[in-house]
Amino acid sequence: MIPPRILVKTYLSPLIGMTAYFIQRVTGLLLLFYLLVHVHTVHEISGGPVAFNHAMDAFKNPLFRLLEIGLLGIVILHALNGIRIMAIDFGVATRHQKRLFWGLAVVIGTLIFIAGALPLFMHSVWER
Amino acid sequence: MSRNAFAWYMQRITGALLVPLLIAHFWVEHFMSATLMRGDLTYEVILSRISNPWWQAIDISFLLIALYHGLNGFYGIVLDYGKIGSRAATATLVLLVAVGVAWAIWGIMAFHNL
Amino acid sequence: MNKRIFISRSGSGSKSRWQNYTLECSPELTVLDALFSIQQQQDPTIAFRCSCRVGMCGTCGMQINGVSRLACKTRLTELDGKDVFLAPLPHLSVIRDLVISLAPFFEQWRKILPAMRSRDPESQELAVVPEDSAYMRHTAGKRDCITCGLCFSACGVLATNKHYLGPAAINKALLRVLDPRDTARAERLEILDSSQDGVWRCHTQMNCVAVCPKGIDLTESIGFFKRRLLLRNGELES
Repeated sequence: MIPPRILVKTYLSPLIGMTAYFIQRVTGLLLLFYLLVHVHTVHEISGGPVAFNHAMDAFKNPLFRLLEIGLLGIVILHALNGIRIMAIDFGVATRHQKRLFWGLAVVIGTLIFIAGALPLFMHSVWER
Repeated sequence: MSRNAFAWYMQRITGALLVPLLIAHFWVEHFMSATLMRGDLTYEVILSRISNPWWQAIDISFLLIALYHGLNGFYGIVLDYGKIGSRAATATLVLLVAVGVAWAIWGIMAFHNL
Repeated sequence: MNKRIFISRSGSGSKSRWQNYTLECSPELTVLDALFSIQQQQDPTIAFRCSCRVGMCGTCGMQINGVSRLACKTRLTELDGKDVFLAPLPHLSVIRDLVISLAPFFEQWRKILPAMRSRDPESQELAVVPEDSAYMRHTAGKRDCITCGLCFSACGVLATNKHYLGPAAINKALLRVLDPRDTARAERLEILDSSQDGVWRCHTQMNCVAVCPKGIDLTESIGFFKRRLLLRNGELES
């Protein structure tokens, strides 16, 4: 019953490490689920060109393009936070863990995301 | 090295390996040619890359490494929810290995008709 | 400046509920001062513990606005907003209101064999560790634990797995494992290697580091074991 605005402030600082852990877990589970589905869709390629191209047409829907961009964001977050965790694990960054989260996972992550998503967004969504 | 230490270490190793593999994968599927940049992911475009056995090896390694990382991570989550007893823990492990093997085979078989 | 202090009330089986008290707050007032004031002037039935009042004993630990802290070291002015929420430390047994029992904490503490097992228990000589020894250097900043239980109650892993050893116990184990006078290293390493209770359950959330009143880098202590158990099968170079 502690008001949400107090809890939000707490989990953005001083407990940002806990927030990073939640993000890592949630993105990890989402990515695992995605991987299992992805193997299925890629398997379609063994059905030959007609079947495969037909299956790919379903993904030209703008909704899927947006999900794809979302996937990019989730991968970047999980990967950069993972690098931060490795730095903590190898004993070099426990003092800097909060700065690493904001600087690496968030700021640099956003830059990489924009670099990766912009071409996708422009070519895939607007040309349909 | 204990079994737990090995799994912990491998999670980091596979995670580190996945970073360049993912960058390469994203590049190859979205930026490598003009067709791909338009978003035209057709059978022909993919076949031109996948018929090369080196790419097949990279893709299969990528799949196995990703499966290990994801399923090992999932096992860690299961262990975090209190003491589940060694029989339940082993059963979960067997299930996850089974899923891993099944998906690995399914993924590798995607290449068999090319 | 007025603040509303919400205190979690509970005891002998009754469900916990928030009870609030309004207090005129002067700038230097700590949460502990506020509790004394409320107890003396508004409600003598509220229960809380304290001892030294200066952050040395670790007795006044409680959850303040969602964070495990020492009441004597938390000034009301550093808490944003008009409302302050005081609850007993999580993961420990609540006796009444803000009073908890550290029994679950010490149950995990005992599992890592906290006492030194000396090479020669019958000896009458002092077993000295010199000030400039490797042991003192490696454990600098790790020896100040006051067993306040804040790390134990803040740990996100303990929230879902009450069998996890916890940061304080693992840090204590570090002090013993690195101690050149000790002979129980192998037993401790085996306990710490446990798949469901041991160091592998730490996920570097670092809540423990955020709340430790002595500034001990607990995650680093736990990481030390992950790297030792990992690379050297318990072998230490010094």
